[in-house]
Amino acid sequence: MYGNYDPPFSLEKEGISISVEKIDAQWIYKRTLGTDRVEKLILEEGKLIINPVKPLNTPKEITQNLLIEFEKILLLAAGARKTIFLTFPIEIGIFISDKGNKNHQLLEVLTLSRQKFTLYGSVSNGLVCKYWKSKIYSVAPSLNPLHEGLMELTVRNTTSDWVSISKVVFSASGMKLYYDSNVFMKARMDILSKNTAETGFELYHINGRLKSYPRKNQDTWKEALEVYIRKLDFVPPTFDMRLGL
Amino acid sequence: MMSINILNFILYSTSKGPVTLRNLLEFIFILSFSIIISRIIILYLRRYFKNKVSKDVGETTIKFLYHGSLLIVFITILPLIGLDPSGLLLAGGITGIVLGFASQNIVGNLISGVFLMIEKPIKIGDQVEINKISGYVTDIRIISTFIRTFDGLLIRIPNQQVFTTNITNTVSYPVRRFDFTIKIRYSDDADAAIWFIQDLIDKEPFALSSPPPSVYVNELGENSVNLVVRIWAPISEWYVLKTRFLWAIKKVLEENNIEVPFPQREIYLHNVPEKKPIPEKQNLNQGEQI
Repeated sequence: MYGNYDPPFSLEKEGISISVEKIDAQWIYKRTLGTDRVEKLILEEGKLIINPVKPLNTPKEITQNLLIEFEKILLLAAGARKTIFLTFPIEIGIFISDKGNKNHQLLEVLTLSRQKFTLYGSVSNGLVCKYWKSKIYSVAPSLNPLHEGLMELTVRNTTSDWVSISKVVFSASGMKLYYDSNVFMKARMDILSKNTAETGFELYHINGRLKSYPRKNQDTWKEALEVYIRKLDFVPPTFDMRLGL
Repeated sequence: MMSINILNFILYSTSKGPVTLRNLLEFIFILSFSIIISRIIILYLRRYFKNKVSKDVGETTIKFLYHGSLLIVFITILPLIGLDPSGLLLAGGITGIVLGFASQNIVGNLISGVFLMIEKPIKIGDQVEINKISGYVTDIRIISTFIRTFDGLLIRIPNQQVFTTNITNTVSYPVRRFDFTIKIRYSDDADAAIWFIQDLIDKEPFALSSPPPSVYVNELGENSVNLVVRIWAPISEWYVLKTRFLWAIKKVLEENNIEVPFPQREIYLHNVPEKKPIPEKQNLNQGEQI
């Protein structure tokens, strides 16, 4: 489903129906998902781009943080560094670009993933986060790219004790998605003490690749368009998990 | 050879002694230096206040501090040019007392306003309840605080009242809870009702997974089994969720044949055997005997 589409076109997948039709001199964008229908009028001819976006826009953008809770508690030895695979929710961004493919405008964001919010920390000093529960995989599982993405997470225990981890929280500001037939993200988590950690994302160039993932796919990876483009993007921001692991 | 020090040139004499050119230059230098230092401090204060208090309040406070500090410096260095500030201070003191009595409330509000800025129990845009007035804080000024009520009225509350009364800030924390009591019939399965409500909460994105929601039988009432539903929601979505979720619970329960009972009374009717009427005369006689 992800890719670029020249209108007129129509496609249907997993209950999502998208079409762009020409009626007189106008283009009409139609989208149906269950009982939810959207129609928009486009006055200029443009290309439609469908790609995964950060899972923080639907049903309403109320936070910039994503909390992934592990299905089982992870125990990590002192000084250990391990790579695990997690899943994360996917949101599908539909953009329109002009003929020169330079300016993009977001038409809408929809999702097939479960949507839930949670609080990281206590009621008096916590932080509302988008919530997702994931299994921990030692090898990359095969996933439905319209529902879930794959995150390669490198966990590093910098303390001199065993630590137990039940969740990881990320700030969306450094989040970068890549996709082909699947959706990827690469992140790190440095455990600083029993209750604190620093998390962040690792940026790729378009030809970058995910370690431990089949290399044959690497050439087809694309960098996903973002709903909001940041101007300062040199240093990926990190998130300090100070309210428990 | 006699050396003439121009700085010791006496400009004029006062009762406190002669005033030299050095004294005058010192006076000018200290005053100028104070102005420069005050302006630098003001610059920093302006940056500090920028996103913390409203522009009106920030500017008023800054001007008050700037002119106040310069006045103190000016009075302190007056003896350098041969002027005695004690008379000024005495006059100022008396004026201060008179003004103090006259403007007791204004000063009280002013001081309360300063403390409100330091303590910061409320911010502009917060949803609050102050002295039984609920609404959004639209401005916090040095003398008073402005509230826009939910029905669109502007209310000005003196800061002294704001400071000394209980303030309920409903948006201070990132999340807030709401509770419902749901009554079901005794003939309904309470476990099933709890399951349906929990499933509904689970499907609702803004019903937070942590702190966890709770649904339980709270009371065996006169006419119903009373369930309590407790849900935490992000503060921005709390009101919207609260206003639509109760009806959603009612609909899901009704779809599954679990209904809200009407008040009930069980009435038992017995057939009372007819009694033979007692003759009036006999009755009267009995009364007489007593």
